[in-house]
Amino acid sequence: MTTVHITGSMLLQLVVSGLLAGGLYALVALGLSLIFGVMRVINVAHGTLLMLGAYTTYWLFTLTGLNPFVSLVVSMPVLFVVGVVLQRLFVHRVVEAPELSSLLLTFGISIFIANVAMLAWSADYRSVEFLTGSFLLGPIALSKPRLVSFVVALGLTGLAFLFLHRTKTGKAIRATSQHRDVAQVCGINVRRIDLITFGLGAGLAGAGGSLVSVMFAVYPEMGQVYVFKSFLVIVLGGAGNYPGAFFGGLLLGLVEGLASLFLTAQLSEVIAYVLLVIVLLVRPTGLLGGRT
Amino acid sequence: MTARAGVLAFLLVAVAGLAVVPLFASGYHVTFIIQVFMWMALAGSWNLISGFTGYVSFGHVAFFGVGAYTGALLITKAGWHWLPAGVAGAAPAAALALVIGYPCLRLKGPYFAIAMLGLNEVVRALVSYFEGFTGGGSGLSLPPILSIAPVYYAMGGTAAAVTLLTYRIITSQFGLRLLSIREDEVAAEVMGINTARLKLYAFLLSAAFPGIVGGFYAWYASHVEPLSVFPLLTTITMIIMCLFGGKGTVFGPVLGAGLLSVFQELVWARFLFVHQAIFGALIVGVVLLIPRGILGVLQQRYQLPRSI
Amino acid sequence: MRTAFRSVTGLVTALVILAGSWTPALAQEWTVGASISLTGTYAKPGKYTQEGYLLCEKDINDKGGLLGRKIRFVVYDDKSDPPTAIKLYEKLITEDKVDLVMGPYSSPVTNAASTVSEKYKKLMMASLAATTSIWERGFKYLFMTISPAEVYLEGLVDLAVERGLKTVAVINEDTLFSKAAAKGTIELAKKKGMQVVFHEAYPKGTTDFSALLIKIKSLNPDVIAAGSYFDDAVATTRQMKELDVNPKMYGVTVGGDLPEFYKLLGKTAEYVYGSSQWEKGLPYPGIKEFVTNYEKMWNREPVYHSAAAYGACQVYAEAIKRAGSLDSDKLRAELLKIKMKTIFGDYQVDERGFQVAHKMVLHQWQDAKKVTVWPAAVSEGKPLYPTPPWQRR
Repeated sequence: MTTVHITGSMLLQLVVSGLLAGGLYALVALGLSLIFGVMRVINVAHGTLLMLGAYTTYWLFTLTGLNPFVSLVVSMPVLFVVGVVLQRLFVHRVVEAPELSSLLLTFGISIFIANVAMLAWSADYRSVEFLTGSFLLGPIALSKPRLVSFVVALGLTGLAFLFLHRTKTGKAIRATSQHRDVAQVCGINVRRIDLITFGLGAGLAGAGGSLVSVMFAVYPEMGQVYVFKSFLVIVLGGAGNYPGAFFGGLLLGLVEGLASLFLTAQLSEVIAYVLLVIVLLVRPTGLLGGRT
Repeated sequence: MTARAGVLAFLLVAVAGLAVVPLFASGYHVTFIIQVFMWMALAGSWNLISGFTGYVSFGHVAFFGVGAYTGALLITKAGWHWLPAGVAGAAPAAALALVIGYPCLRLKGPYFAIAMLGLNEVVRALVSYFEGFTGGGSGLSLPPILSIAPVYYAMGGTAAAVTLLTYRIITSQFGLRLLSIREDEVAAEVMGINTARLKLYAFLLSAAFPGIVGGFYAWYASHVEPLSVFPLLTTITMIIMCLFGGKGTVFGPVLGAGLLSVFQELVWARFLFVHQAIFGALIVGVVLLIPRGILGVLQQRYQLPRSI
Repeated sequence: MRTAFRSVTGLVTALVILAGSWTPALAQEWTVGASISLTGTYAKPGKYTQEGYLLCEKDINDKGGLLGRKIRFVVYDDKSDPPTAIKLYEKLITEDKVDLVMGPYSSPVTNAASTVSEKYKKLMMASLAATTSIWERGFKYLFMTISPAEVYLEGLVDLAVERGLKTVAVINEDTLFSKAAAKGTIELAKKKGMQVVFHEAYPKGTTDFSALLIKIKSLNPDVIAAGSYFDDAVATTRQMKELDVNPKMYGVTVGGDLPEFYKLLGKTAEYVYGSSQWEKGLPYPGIKEFVTNYEKMWNREPVYHSAAAYGACQVYAEAIKRAGSLDSDKLRAELLKIKMKTIFGDYQVDERGFQVAHKMVLHQWQDAKKVTVWPAAVSEGKPLYPTPPWQRR
């Protein structure tokens, strides 16, 4: 067996692929981070919401031929509503409870939805064959679906930041995540903010799902891997630190890519975890700082 | 005192009844009860750290998996008898708990849960990676077991040991201190309780038993592989069983494991395609409707002693 | 709190009532037990397996059954999970008291399930387990139907050697079957003088193969051989296109033969080689009727999983007829002796119960059709060679 010599162009290719993946992680994790920041709820069902977004895009594409990127205007509102309903019915009851309740509750919701999806749509793998292939830039292959998804993910992340910083509701969300009680005293209706936040988080997960669907297979359990990745991202970036989630996402993409280049796919997961524990222990507020 | 005697008598009858089951029951019923014992021991172990201190071990199956691999390796590579090999599963599980618990038990709230979830993923990845030793993704095959009755007693003994230990802890000062950590850790520290050390002790105990259960499981299942001994769902199942019965109680995990195993078996046999969805709904129901668990509710309603 | 208490008592009552009705069904015919992966990772091939079994049940019953009785399959879902299969086979054997057992789908599940049948000395006709190590455990009552994993890509290596290709990169999912397939491919390639320039395993559930494919791309091998199941085969193929990885030949073990492979990938699947245990155009006895009946019953074409399940059932039925009994030891004696051709091809096992006669085929996707290209004796067409680079398709 010849050994793989890692060349500059391979490194560059991996950095590019890693960043492209990271942009998506950032978008998905931002949703989780918002929910966690405002309510201290770890939403284990985040990946399942992502799956629902992916199926929305898949069905719109398959049945009506709608451009998957355009379908975001459907999947995000749909998931926003799903999020609001989940919050209203279930999650609001565990906002003040110990973390065990919210972990288990959202896990229960997650396997419930995933299995209903399995019953409704079967466990078959499906794919949205919309954009395939790549642009070749010298030795670097830029995957078309990943590049477009990356750009869209960046755009959506940017819009989310604008929303958080420029609108009254966005400011209220940030205030609530900084100090819930003070926000309430200042006249912010935190129940309403919780509702909007969960909807928004779910909407972002749904957007992530729509974007994932053009790259990878769509199936009921597709979201699982994104849950743990999102945890990693918000720990790296700092919980409740929203720009942190963005840089955390890119960082995770890079680390994963490089680890699987220098080591193997299996060990890249280990590296990511070691990073997680070190960050938790050394800088529990995340690399960029955040709330404990 | 009579109530106490009554409980004791009931327990004795129950244990005696279970002890004679393998003599007449079918293989299926025996394997079913083995699994109930397994869940009792696992839920009871989780209870020791999370039920008492409130630190949520969201990757507890890692200790089970490590025990399973230890048992399988000792049996296949070192030629050990399965009984000592299974018991030996406790050592590496506790060692792992020491290595990971020492730093991570300082983490507060959800961060400990996330770290534990990650731990499980990592142990699984490492087991797959060192394939010369562990067989990698193909796992390790053990000789088929010809008689399951011994496993029945071993698993039952482990479940009983966990329950007995929980009783000893709950009636000891150690147990009270652990509960004080759950209620208010800062206050506990102010009162001079060395919370770091106590949490670590509880964590070691709660990791050692899943190690033993895993060791027996390896022998019972005749095959271990990363995907079958490290599933997240196993952690969730032990948590929900403990919660359903009543966390922080002695018999909560026993009751929860028993009832939910029967429930799962029946639902699973009857509603092929929806059993997972029902399990999901059940989790939501338990968390929202009876977060204290059956025994918790009964304790509050009838002012039962804490040590049930 | 009152509601909480009521829901607890309600649930407990429901459990007690359910437990009371917990009794096994009585059998009026020969029952054949099997667990199948109807949900989980192996749900798709599992379903095909089940369809094969059920068609066999119907055909045997239409011809008057076995030893004067009809047969009936009792099938449970093992969720693609080996420990679940263990419990299910315990249930089938000790609780439902089935007369015969047949194998589940996939090597890992068969590996686990067979420990139960062996313990109870029930003869298991394993229809869809291809991993050699399963038959190296010294089991007496376990018989194999399909060709072992190790020879899945023999055709790919053969064709490559014929064309003077020198280097091969091998990747595989880190699970029992895929690992064995990769190992076998590596050994075959080395034996035939090819150089294995790369080998790496990826964990089950991997969706992003970028790093793996980039490493392979830097080595520019003539051939890429993938020990895959379905989903990873689809993903690697797509990502090879995205990363512009251009081997002269690219073959996958499982997945490449399913119609869904082309349905999902479309034109991207062109030129891909897939190995198969069976194709519907092969010259085996009874194969035409099988295909017609299958399409009538299930409204879709059979794939090799369906045929293997059916073929295994045929062999089992033959053994029962010859033995005139369902006794495991008598059946075992017959199964060790039988040499026959079913709709699935040749059956003959060695003293371990290990399949030695059945032959694999290799096909290539050409214009949305699977064309058998190897072995020469049964091939339907010539392989399109070399595979053109992605940019020129």
